[in-house]
Amino acid sequence: MSVGISKAPPATAVAPSPADRRPRRTRRRRPPRGLKTFEFAMMAPALTLLSVLSWIPFVILVAMSFAKVRTLGGVSLTFTGLDNWTAVLGDPAVWASWWRSLIYFVSIVALEMLLGLGAALVLHRLLRGRSLVLSIVLLPMFLAPVMVGLLGRFMLDSTIGLYAQLLQAAGLDADLLASPATALPVVASIDVWQWTPLVALILLAGLSSVPPSTLEAATVDGAGYFRTLVSITLPQMRPIILVALLVRSMDAIRYFDIVTATTNGGPADATKIIPLKLYEYAFRFNNQLGKAAVLGLTMLAFSIVLARLFLRFFGERTAGPTQGGDA
Amino acid sequence: MTTTARHSGSRPATRVLVPALALLLALWAAVPLLWMLITAFKPGTAIRTSDVTLSFAPTLDNFRNLFLGGNRAGTFLLNSLLVTGVSTVIAVTLGCMAGYGLAHWVSRYRTDVAFWVLSTRMAPIAAVIVPLFVMFRSAGLVDTIPGLVLAHLSFNLPFAVWLMSAFFGRVPASVEEAALLDGCTKWRRFLTVSLPMARPGVVTTAVLCMVFSWNDYAFSSALSGPDTATLPQAAGALVTQSGIDWGLLCALGVVVAVPMLVAGLAVRRHLVTGLSLGAVTGE
Repeated sequence: MSVGISKAPPATAVAPSPADRRPRRTRRRRPPRGLKTFEFAMMAPALTLLSVLSWIPFVILVAMSFAKVRTLGGVSLTFTGLDNWTAVLGDPAVWASWWRSLIYFVSIVALEMLLGLGAALVLHRLLRGRSLVLSIVLLPMFLAPVMVGLLGRFMLDSTIGLYAQLLQAAGLDADLLASPATALPVVASIDVWQWTPLVALILLAGLSSVPPSTLEAATVDGAGYFRTLVSITLPQMRPIILVALLVRSMDAIRYFDIVTATTNGGPADATKIIPLKLYEYAFRFNNQLGKAAVLGLTMLAFSIVLARLFLRFFGERTAGPTQGGDA
Repeated sequence: MTTTARHSGSRPATRVLVPALALLLALWAAVPLLWMLITAFKPGTAIRTSDVTLSFAPTLDNFRNLFLGGNRAGTFLLNSLLVTGVSTVIAVTLGCMAGYGLAHWVSRYRTDVAFWVLSTRMAPIAAVIVPLFVMFRSAGLVDTIPGLVLAHLSFNLPFAVWLMSAFFGRVPASVEEAALLDGCTKWRRFLTVSLPMARPGVVTTAVLCMVFSWNDYAFSSALSGPDTATLPQAAGALVTQSGIDWGLLCALGVVVAVPMLVAGLAVRRHLVTGLSLGAVTGE
């Protein structure tokens, strides 16, 4: 049911495994390795383009972080040493923003994991109309995040918003996005609305891969639903839960369109997470692109750690036994 | 799924609770979208009232204003189609080739290349935009369609490479070997055997690339100008100091959302593989 890309290539035509053990004469020629192969030639165009689009920006980013950048009348860099780094790392507003980002990321990812698990469990046990309900539940994922943010504003608009009116009927009479105390939780819940379906989708696939025989055994032993869930289903699903967690975390750090569209960092910096702080440096006020580069590099480091985890985990998975058969 | 049947049937409480929760879930996801759809067809007076109402004379005014008024949504739509189309075709073509290569490449650098591809895809958008902006500025690519296509390739190309390598990795080795024994060249085997077998993967990759590109706001808003703005940017532009014309916005939302919802659901079977970056398969 679940397969990973591994460090070792999948056992395909090029795999030298059984042939290697045979006597020298009878076996086929050793498969070619490295750069002068068909496989590498196939990768060359994409990797060339990707190099241009990733290494050059990376070098520029590093260079910018040590320089004062001017973009008017041609781009020019003036080397300023560690000025940007000390300025950014010494700025309490940046630390506040990191802290805010951490709270934001952790809470949206945690909420999405919990709600996604709940949704997956419900959908898994739904007998009739599961396919239809799943299709409906998946819809928010395909809407442009900037539209999701604006739609959230519309639903919560204090005079005409549908949800705002429901909340007012329930006694919650405030402009939720305009108040510093509620803005961040509200923006977070908009993100939760859009991305919980992704977690639910992945975990649902995980639930379907838990072998029925183990569940039957548990039922025979008299274990109740929650007991089975906690001690059998969830442990079995651990790898897939991890995949969902990593995929969601990496994306949560990537995207910030929802925040841009709803509050754009306000009110009073209540939702100014790191990418928005970076934008403020880069494109607003007096173009401090160098400082933006410093923030960019720190964010990059963060996401590289996550990508490492994801890949290592991929490798481990394939090395171990594959789980379950296909549906 | 016989096991599920046995499980849910077990207790009467579950038999009611599960569908009830499922309905709640569906409502939670669908209500804002439905409300957007309804609002798009409402006349302005019915939108601006604080009474929630469903009785109104449906009108196409919002769509008409969007495309025929001073809002130039037609131009934005064309830009969106162009950028999404071109960047998706390039990403999928190069992605298929490179994905195939990566899935079969025997080299000690394979992991490093794979990691590089993944980390390129995962790089925080904000961190990529700043150097791209400077790069494009000096290359004269800001506010051009090729520039925007390149920007979208920066996230879609690594995605396509990574995902296609996962899909090609699943083509049974025996099929590949048989083709080679038949005297196929490797290129012919790729075109006539592997690629057709990985077709669901190609379609899924194409749809997801399309969705990411179509929905992009951050890259477009930083790197394009008045001539190359895309639809999501139009959404951003509708937000002004004097307030938001919600009718227009909802109409735009419908235009932006409908093609992607349809395309996304069309590949639902393989969606989980695509969105988990190939880590999870199954229905």
